Amino acid sequence: MGGISLNYLLRRLLVFFLTLWVAATLIFIIPRLAPGDPIAAMVARLSYQAGFVENADLIIEGWKERFGLNDPVYVQYLRFMTGLLGGDLGYSMARFPSTVTELVGRALPWTIGLVGVATFIFFIVGNLCGALLAWARTPRLVKVLIPMSMIFTSIPPLLAGLLLSYTFAFLLGWFPQTYSYGFGLTPGLTLEFIASVLHHGILPAMAIVIVTFGYWALGMRGMMVTIEGEDYMILAQAKGLKPFYVLYRYMIRNAILPQMTALAVSIGTLVNGVVLVEVIFNYNGMGTLIVTALREQDFGLIQGTSFILITTSALAVLIIDLSYPLIDPRISLEGR
Amino acid sequence: MTKKNESSSDRVVLKVDNLRIHYATPQGDVIAVSDISFKLYEGETLGLVGESGCGKSTTAYGILQLVQPPGYIVHGSIEVAGTEVLDLEEEELRKFRWTGLSLIPQGAMNSLNPTMRVKDQIIDVIEAHEGKQSDKEALRERIFGLFQNVGLPNRIYNMYPHELSGGMKQRVCIAMGVALHPTVVIADEATSALDVVVQRIVAQTLVKVKDEIGVSLIVIGHDMGLLAQIVDRIAVMYAGKMVEIAPVANVYAKPLHPYTQLLIESIPSIKERKPLKITEGITHDPRNPPSGCIFRLRCPFAWEHCAEVEPLPIDVEAKHEVACHLFDERFEDRRANAYATLANS
Repeated sequence: MGGISLNYLLRRLLVFFLTLWVAATLIFIIPRLAPGDPIAAMVARLSYQAGFVENADLIIEGWKERFGLNDPVYVQYLRFMTGLLGGDLGYSMARFPSTVTELVGRALPWTIGLVGVATFIFFIVGNLCGALLAWARTPRLVKVLIPMSMIFTSIPPLLAGLLLSYTFAFLLGWFPQTYSYGFGLTPGLTLEFIASVLHHGILPAMAIVIVTFGYWALGMRGMMVTIEGEDYMILAQAKGLKPFYVLYRYMIRNAILPQMTALAVSIGTLVNGVVLVEVIFNYNGMGTLIVTALREQDFGLIQGTSFILITTSALAVLIIDLSYPLIDPRISLEGR
Repeated sequence: MTKKNESSSDRVVLKVDNLRIHYATPQGDVIAVSDISFKLYEGETLGLVGESGCGKSTTAYGILQLVQPPGYIVHGSIEVAGTEVLDLEEEELRKFRWTGLSLIPQGAMNSLNPTMRVKDQIIDVIEAHEGKQSDKEALRERIFGLFQNVGLPNRIYNMYPHELSGGMKQRVCIAMGVALHPTVVIADEATSALDVVVQRIVAQTLVKVKDEIGVSLIVIGHDMGLLAQIVDRIAVMYAGKMVEIAPVANVYAKPLHPYTQLLIESIPSIKERKPLKITEGITHDPRNPPSGCIFRLRCPFAWEHCAEVEPLPIDVEAKHEVACHLFDERFEDRRANAYATLANS
């Protein structure tokens, strides 16, 4: 019988934390390999804004000391890792004295909301379209319309975002162009605020959905065609079951299993697309934050945002992994 | 043998008339089943045999209205207890299925839905035909009853197909097949993928359940030895044609059609090693069958007449038909010669 043993759970958690450790180490190393000095860049920005900064050398030196950039690399690494363990992601260099945790804390819910809703929509819509494409009883019109709706599948999310923004925000003015909620609204559980969030979220979410669901539809169609050739489909027909019941209980139920696996694998790629879409819509989520951090060479923020994105993705994969025995009775995650 | 013959009456429950099934291909239609007619009597077990590709499974799926594209039924009539199956509307056909005609597939293969519990797969067919069952306790007792019929333990009620052995899966298929007491049950190679011991047990279960419930059974298979143990009559098919239908004792004791003779000859014996007399495979192009008799290209006794006229089934005795010119009264001399040759070989 399907079930998760403690042994498996522990092994799976070990892999999860190992992933995080490798990710944290890479995140620590990579920005330091890039040319440029973050403090100098920041002071340069200040002087650009103010015209002149007095004692720039001293400021640079003082901040380097403050951020510990003068310490040997391994000391910085140890400090970084101990900080991570305590949930402390350090300070943002460009927006000192804001901490990374603070900035991420403000941005993360928006991204999780956006990705979550978009994933939910494209997974359901994509698989449903794929199932209908393969089903013998689908009306012909639907079978023609679905492939036509998939023309956006071949364009990158970035372009889809631009296209949607231009058409529905700029030309038609149906949706706001930027940000995640209307200016002047206080975040809270008010009807007005929620409506505003939904209104602002539709375009970015759609930008992700229209470029993604086609892949899922095609994958699902392929799976459905395979299932249609299975022996149990002939038996289902011979049994005189109702066609709709056969569709969801015999066909979709079996075809969806590999799709769930594919979803777990694709989460990383998905996050990539979301980052760019967020930038297009100036959506105040992790994507925008990470791009700002990169532009400002803000080590602390780059490390923090990347780490949080990786953690969230790894967590999503972990959850899907652990839920396999629930969706496929043939898989049991019992340790051997 | 005598006991078996008692169980079948003279009432016809399934009448197949002039059934023709083609498979459409870009190079023309392949004739899978070519104008076959036969009757199945109440309580009878009919074995359908022939080499691979002879159309025995297509015939069965044609009767069940399960011919998958590119196959299609060209013409014919299939009458089950007075109902013309080919005239049924879609919803009527759905309701007729499993109550009129049911299928026991090769259960050791992938015939059960891997993501549904055994009980749910039996419940779904009951509820599809008898409506939602409110009394869950009675439903469970009913399924336990079915399990008992086929010798399955109650503990598999909540199991998934992958947790069962091939023989158990086959029994689940049998239990499912008779759950609604259908008029006719068709078992398609129901014992093919099992080892000889389980094969025998499953075959006996099949016959036992059939007798208890009082259905008529068509068993498709190529294991002539096993079929001899369980069927009342055997229908021999060759390249889409039915060449002989005979009571099982006759087929083995004195096969009439030259093809049946070769088929019986080729049953391997564990006592002796004998050379195979039959060459493998149907030799002609199934899109362009030869004129006259379908078997004449491989028949040792064929003469000019066989190329000119197609042999029609000839009643040689009760419930025994053979489609061969040798059994035409006009060619009695040839028949005597043919048998003499056969006896000498």
